[in-house]
Amino acid sequence: MPAASTSVRHPTNPFATRHTRPGRLPPLDEAGRPRNLGGLLAAADRLPAAAIVGPHGTGKSTLLVALERMLAASGRSAGLFRVRRRRDGLLVLPAVWRAAAGSTLCIDSWERLGRLERGAARLVAGIRGCRLLVTSHRTGWPPTLVDTSGSLAVLTAVVGRLPDHGGLLTHEDLAVAFLRHAGNIRDSLDELYDRFEHRLRRS
Amino acid sequence: MTLALDPGRRQPVVLVHFSQADRCYEPEATLAVRYTVEGVEEGGVRAVERSVLWYTEGKGEEDLGVHFFERLSEPPAARSSAGEFACQLPAGPLSYEGLIVKIRWCIRIRLFFSGGRDFVSEHIFDVGHVPAAAFSGFS
Amino acid sequence: MRLPRFFAKKRGHRRTGSEVWGSVGEALFHAVLVVAGLAFGGLLVTGVAVPEWRMNHDFVEAEGTVIGKGLGRRVVPAGSRIDTTWQPGLLLRYETPTGEVESWAFRGPRDSERDRARARLEQVALGGQVTCWYDPAATERVVLERGYNWWMWALTLLLPGALLAFGGAGLWRSVARWGKSEERRAVARPGRGTRAAGPASAEHQACLPACDNLVNSPGTILRFRLPLESPENWTLLGFGLFAVLWNVVLVLLAVNAGLDLLGGRLDWLLLAVLVPFGLVGAAGIVVFVRGLVLTTAVGPTQLEISDHPLRPGGNYEVLLAQGGSGTFSRIELTLELEEQATFRQGTDTRTERAVVWSSSLGSWRGLQVAPGTRFEAGVSLRVPDTAMHSFITEHNAVNWRLVVRGQPLRWPAFARSFPVVVFPTPSRDPTP
Repeated sequence: MPAASTSVRHPTNPFATRHTRPGRLPPLDEAGRPRNLGGLLAAADRLPAAAIVGPHGTGKSTLLVALERMLAASGRSAGLFRVRRRRDGLLVLPAVWRAAAGSTLCIDSWERLGRLERGAARLVAGIRGCRLLVTSHRTGWPPTLVDTSGSLAVLTAVVGRLPDHGGLLTHEDLAVAFLRHAGNIRDSLDELYDRFEHRLRRS
Repeated sequence: MTLALDPGRRQPVVLVHFSQADRCYEPEATLAVRYTVEGVEEGGVRAVERSVLWYTEGKGEEDLGVHFFERLSEPPAARSSAGEFACQLPAGPLSYEGLIVKIRWCIRIRLFFSGGRDFVSEHIFDVGHVPAAAFSGFS
Repeated sequence: MRLPRFFAKKRGHRRTGSEVWGSVGEALFHAVLVVAGLAFGGLLVTGVAVPEWRMNHDFVEAEGTVIGKGLGRRVVPAGSRIDTTWQPGLLLRYETPTGEVESWAFRGPRDSERDRARARLEQVALGGQVTCWYDPAATERVVLERGYNWWMWALTLLLPGALLAFGGAGLWRSVARWGKSEERRAVARPGRGTRAAGPASAEHQACLPACDNLVNSPGTILRFRLPLESPENWTLLGFGLFAVLWNVVLVLLAVNAGLDLLGGRLDWLLLAVLVPFGLVGAAGIVVFVRGLVLTTAVGPTQLEISDHPLRPGGNYEVLLAQGGSGTFSRIELTLELEEQATFRQGTDTRTERAVVWSSSLGSWRGLQVAPGTRFEAGVSLRVPDTAMHSFITEHNAVNWRLVVRGQPLRWPAFARSFPVVVFPTPSRDPTP
């Protein structure tokens, strides 16, 4: 979907979902620089499975979406599976089973699966000869491919890639939001959305 | 804003003229639009889609409702560098500038080129006169 | 028709400007599933279903003479061991149009016990007559039993059926979406993201919430009685059921533990489980009793309205009735506009709400409500001329509601919401 036409009467909030959802922004490292996706995929290819590990709101899903898109472009993706509820575990195994040998199935929120489902998915992936690329909040199996963490540099870089906020926000606003939400980039953007709306109506 | 084709390529420009100069329409009024397309090669466009739709923006996932849709794929209409269309707007939803939910009406002109690429131009207009919601909880 | 999605799969937004190769890959993947389903299904039909059908329809009945008996043995390797099964067999002689035929036929299910299979064989005497059916296309093929194994049919068609369902749905979706823009896909699925609206056809396009359940309850004084947004009675009933069930289990466990103690046995595990169970059971009772007391002490809140749905600029009468007993230090009735947005944060789905407009319709202090009576007050409501109408889609909503907030003197404060629907003003109708 294209970004809306911006006009005085219809100012676009740069922190609206359409601008910040996973897939809209490039994944960034802790210094706020775009990640080397090719290098990450090359490293993932040397492992039967790999995990993107980090706390909430630090860009794991964003990075996974970007990597899956690269895999899809080269015909190596078996799809992206999002685990939203515990019972989604029943659907993971068919997804792994359908994955072609040599392809990579991306699973968002690996830790939400039960131990049995994780073990079964690992076993089936081994049998099918496909790779798993997952996001998780904790280390373990699969081995960690990359750690994500929120930093003020990341938040600043993210905001810099969003539509212009017209000077309604300052760097101090970003710092306050970042501190208030303990490094959670997603929640920080949420607060900045509200702050932008408030300043817009006051201006 | 429009979706770019290639960074180094000159972008098409779609100029739109609304029947209402202030782009503000009453519910159930007639929306009439004329547009011209500049910056495309002769015969480069193989199809054009014109649509009138509303979408939501804000903190929620986007929802979309298409009120009017027309696809021109036969020459010379598809390859023309200008066009016009009209439709009667519905009673709602009205345009709304809320805090976490906004409803926006727009027209979209989508150009399809040979090679499978497309280019879309979007132009917002208003339906109704609902004032913007006030903010009541932030410092 | 909304085709099923068998798992949450999202590729995000394609920004390459060309979706052809992505769609080709997706279509090919599903086409392979469809082909596999058809091939597998075809094999199963020809190998299982068709032979069984022929046996029941085409085979010719004959009288066979038993001229020999024996046990058929099947040996199947199962890992490190060998599984052997036995099946009684009869050598039959029977007449066919092409002459006399002698052939073996097996009877009954396979048995792992040789002696049991032999005992079944002994029930048939040599020289005896048995009814049999032979294949007219191959007369040496003869059976002693006919019928259908329906469970075999269901089981063997399950896997190809699943492949066809997965692949077919995905392929149809790929073809339906092939080369189509977002606007064109949205037109092809009317009603997605919207809900059925109120009466007039014009409102169907406005994404208005259905208001049937808001106008199906007549009021005693005004035209309609409004329902509560979340009836507290059901919540209380749920707590009550939980407390009862939990404490029944607790009592059973306690009785069991008591009997064990009397019998001189000490089950430490059971005793350890009883402690947290008991705490939860006690908490459940406390919560339920507290809720019950609050509900009966505070009493029900009812709202009636003179007309519904509402229109911008419209004037309406509202009647508030508050039951209970005791003193209310304050009761207030407000009209509110609330926005609601649902979004995904990673794999979480969250809903955020914001009240963006609020107007007090009436406020009363120091009310004394005698038992068996109720406080009643009538107020006027005017919906602002430029009010936004109610709006609801899959992820976003703009909701109007009347809220009664009360502060009883000796109980916690409460807030009860009554949803109302505001329709957009028809352009040709005068403002009421």
